[in-house]
Amino acid sequence: MSSDGAPEVVAELREILARATGRAELLGLSEQTPLFGAGVGLDSLTGTLLLREVHRRFSVDVAAEDLNLDALATLGTLAAYITGHAPARPAPGG
Amino acid sequence: MIVKCVVWDLDNTLLSGVYLESEAQPPPPDPALVAAAAQLRDRGIIHAIASRNPPEAAQYAARVTGLDFAAAECGWDRKSDAVRRIAADLGLSPDAVAFVDDDPYERAEVSFAVPEVLVLSPEDMADAVGWPELSPAVVTAEARRRGEMYAERRRREQEARAFAGSRDEFLRYCGTRVTIARAAETDVPRLHELSVRTHQFNTGGEPVAERELRRMVGSAEDQVTTVRLSDRFGDDGLVGGCVTRAGQDGTWTVTLLMMSCRAMGRGVIEALLAWLAGTAARGGATRLAVPCLVSPRNVPLRLALTAAGFRADPGVPAGQRRAVFSRSLSGPLPEVPGWVTSSVAGRVTEP
Repeated sequence: MSSDGAPEVVAELREILARATGRAELLGLSEQTPLFGAGVGLDSLTGTLLLREVHRRFSVDVAAEDLNLDALATLGTLAAYITGHAPARPAPGG
Repeated sequence: MIVKCVVWDLDNTLLSGVYLESEAQPPPPDPALVAAAAQLRDRGIIHAIASRNPPEAAQYAARVTGLDFAAAECGWDRKSDAVRRIAADLGLSPDAVAFVDDDPYERAEVSFAVPEVLVLSPEDMADAVGWPELSPAVVTAEARRRGEMYAERRRREQEARAFAGSRDEFLRYCGTRVTIARAAETDVPRLHELSVRTHQFNTGGEPVAERELRRMVGSAEDQVTTVRLSDRFGDDGLVGGCVTRAGQDGTWTVTLLMMSCRAMGRGVIEALLAWLAGTAARGGATRLAVPCLVSPRNVPLRLALTAAGFRADPGVPAGQRRAVFSRSLSGPLPEVPGWVTSSVAGRVTEP
């Protein structure tokens, strides 16, 4: 199953998650793995680091728009949310 | 606004001379300013350094003044940037920061760039220790140890950076211990202080008077619970608390929940939420509800609630600032993170 998240967004999110948790194996995280609970074990600190990085890199403020933070269900849902909400990035080489 | 942190210049301020111009012996500390700083420390105000010097100067200043510095910015860029970085690093808003420098140019630059900061000259200090901005009403045991606790945090973070394993493995190595207990009268001043000082983990968003807290501690309806935290690096004391009420309809409501941001990333809020869910379920409740004033500052609290399986009422319109997060107590309950040893001290009764 492929998500609606742009592949470069997925790759960048894996890198952010690996750094926030200190777990290099998250670089190979599947798009269906839950971010909370047994999957990645996102908590208030790693979640805050993730949301802050997402805001900085993609200009998407997930917490301001999504009260229940549903976008954080899996890597795939977060990537799709960012891809759907990000302001257009300048075209490469433009 | 109460000042929580004083940022000190070193040359001709906290030190009586210029660090880099001294030959064999760096300049001694300024005794009057060190005495003022120690007085502020005893009121729970922490200290930091912003100096145009190499980092060794900060270490030297810590040694000769005997003060703990929660942060040190040594470098040659603008002091206003150093002050901003210190505030961000310590999780403080700029209006909770004072800045002391002998150089009128530096004072003007900081005043201009960060007008919220209370800017002082060394000569102001003798008077300023008596000002209301520097005289918090409540001085708790936790407040008096605040500078030390920041120093412990710095050691913890240094070791975390050098640690070869994952963050979870590091937290396990730290031996994190969370103790949950029923609040006593003597906890009231610290609980009040938490209601004033905490923002990232605070459901209420406004101070709760000591009188009101004392009433709740003595009430049969409200259960007031305290959370204490320690690990191999030090004892953070009372870092959090909550107030719970059992409803007739099988729902337990957490009417107030607050936690120091010092506890962030150490499994403490997670331990408290897991304990609340378990205790409510054992007390016969079917649902646990946490009404919350939603703000950009308490996103960490929402993350903890989401991670513990809480959901906001679907009926809440977008942009609404109040929401009730709740979860069912049937099925698997949230778990305490594996690195936390939690214990319940004394008898914690159900409300």
